[in-house]
Amino acid sequence: MEVQEIISSGILETYVLGLTSAEDTARVQVWIKQYPEVAAEINEIEEAMEKLAMAQAVEPNAAVKSKILNSISIKPDTSVKENNTKIYSISPVWKWVAAASIILLLGSVIFNYVYYNKYQTVNYENALTRQQLQNQDSQLAQLNSQLDMLNHNMSVVQSKYSEPVSLHGMDVAPNAAAKIFWMKNTGEVYLDPSNLPDAPAGKQYQLWAIVDGKPEDAGMIVKTKKGEQYQIQKMKSFGNAQAFAVTLETEGGNPTPKGAMYVMGKM
Amino acid sequence: MQQAIKYSEEELILLLKKQDTSAFSYLYDNYSAAIFGVITRMVEEHHLAEDILQEAFVKIWNNFNQYDSSKGRLFTWMINLTRNLTIDTLRSKGFKKQQKISQDEKSVINYQDGGFNTAKFDTIGLRKQLAILKPEQQIVIELAYFNGYTQEEIAKEIGIPIGTVKTRIRSAILELRKLM
Repeated sequence: MEVQEIISSGILETYVLGLTSAEDTARVQVWIKQYPEVAAEINEIEEAMEKLAMAQAVEPNAAVKSKILNSISIKPDTSVKENNTKIYSISPVWKWVAAASIILLLGSVIFNYVYYNKYQTVNYENALTRQQLQNQDSQLAQLNSQLDMLNHNMSVVQSKYSEPVSLHGMDVAPNAAAKIFWMKNTGEVYLDPSNLPDAPAGKQYQLWAIVDGKPEDAGMIVKTKKGEQYQIQKMKSFGNAQAFAVTLETEGGNPTPKGAMYVMGKM
Repeated sequence: MQQAIKYSEEELILLLKKQDTSAFSYLYDNYSAAIFGVITRMVEEHHLAEDILQEAFVKIWNNFNQYDSSKGRLFTWMINLTRNLTIDTLRSKGFKKQQKISQDEKSVINYQDGGFNTAKFDTIGLRKQLAILKPEQQIVIELAYFNGYTQEEIAKEIGIPIGTVKTRIRSAILELRKLM
């Protein structure tokens, strides 16, 4: 093939555009070495295409360059590449992501530790407070019941119908005393035994009303369940009675007085 | 910016064969816009075009030992590598050639009718250059350079013999050479 024929065929242009078959590509490469005119022509075609590209250049985003330089700077060197060793590199973005997630994890662990401790403390304080509240509740209930009792006692003492009768100590217990509140309107009898000495084990005080010269059972004197104290208590009712007396009897009482008389008082 | 340093093509090639990163930086500064211009002419999506540019330059760096200056200029090697990469990327992403062809058929009709409208195209610079060409010259450059058509495909597309494809490409490039 003549040199001019080669040049005018258009094969050199298709070669520059990368459109030639492998066979034609090999032929063109032989001609380049063989004919300086072919080499010169190809160079001019290439320059024209290069200028065409330059004339319609579009500036890419500046970030692209740093991405490229980043990805080539962490590539393995050529000697490693020749050994066909695959090196998996981690992109810097993932390094940052990994670092950030470790920091977040550590932050979360510290946060959880601190708040678990706080939670424990608050839990303990809460239990303590609840315990204190329960204690106060039971104290309050106790005070309330005591207040009820006092109120009841006061209502007996303060009633306009109540007539007080002092029972004075006898020879067995000169310091002992008791008080009767007899309700004139209803005949109810209340006893305040708080100044009686403690009854010995197995024994119990019993109140008697003297009606027409004979003692009649007016009821057993009991201690309150709480505090083991004597309180004002309601006894049996009497329409009239000349006197009241308290004797120490066996537990449960007797139909007629058998024990020693501790206090007595006349209406 | 390394404006003080200016490499000749021979020096640049020598340094790049030695994997010199500052020479590579210079190569990027001087050729990336021209290469990106060709990519954006082929790919509409801007981010994809940038990804391809990035991949192309990494490939240029990694495969630089395959470049043989006796076979052609450095830019020719780079732009053909980039164009092949772009075409492969588009095809792997399911851009069917058939769709491209049907679009191009319309533009062929436009060219043949003489109804070519420069305002349609965003790459004005290139358009100005190509507008000098006759419509039948424009279409072969369009298909060969930007759409990755083989000579056979161009021949089939336009309905001319392969020999005519070659001479038409030649006459188009000759026109451009006069212009440059």
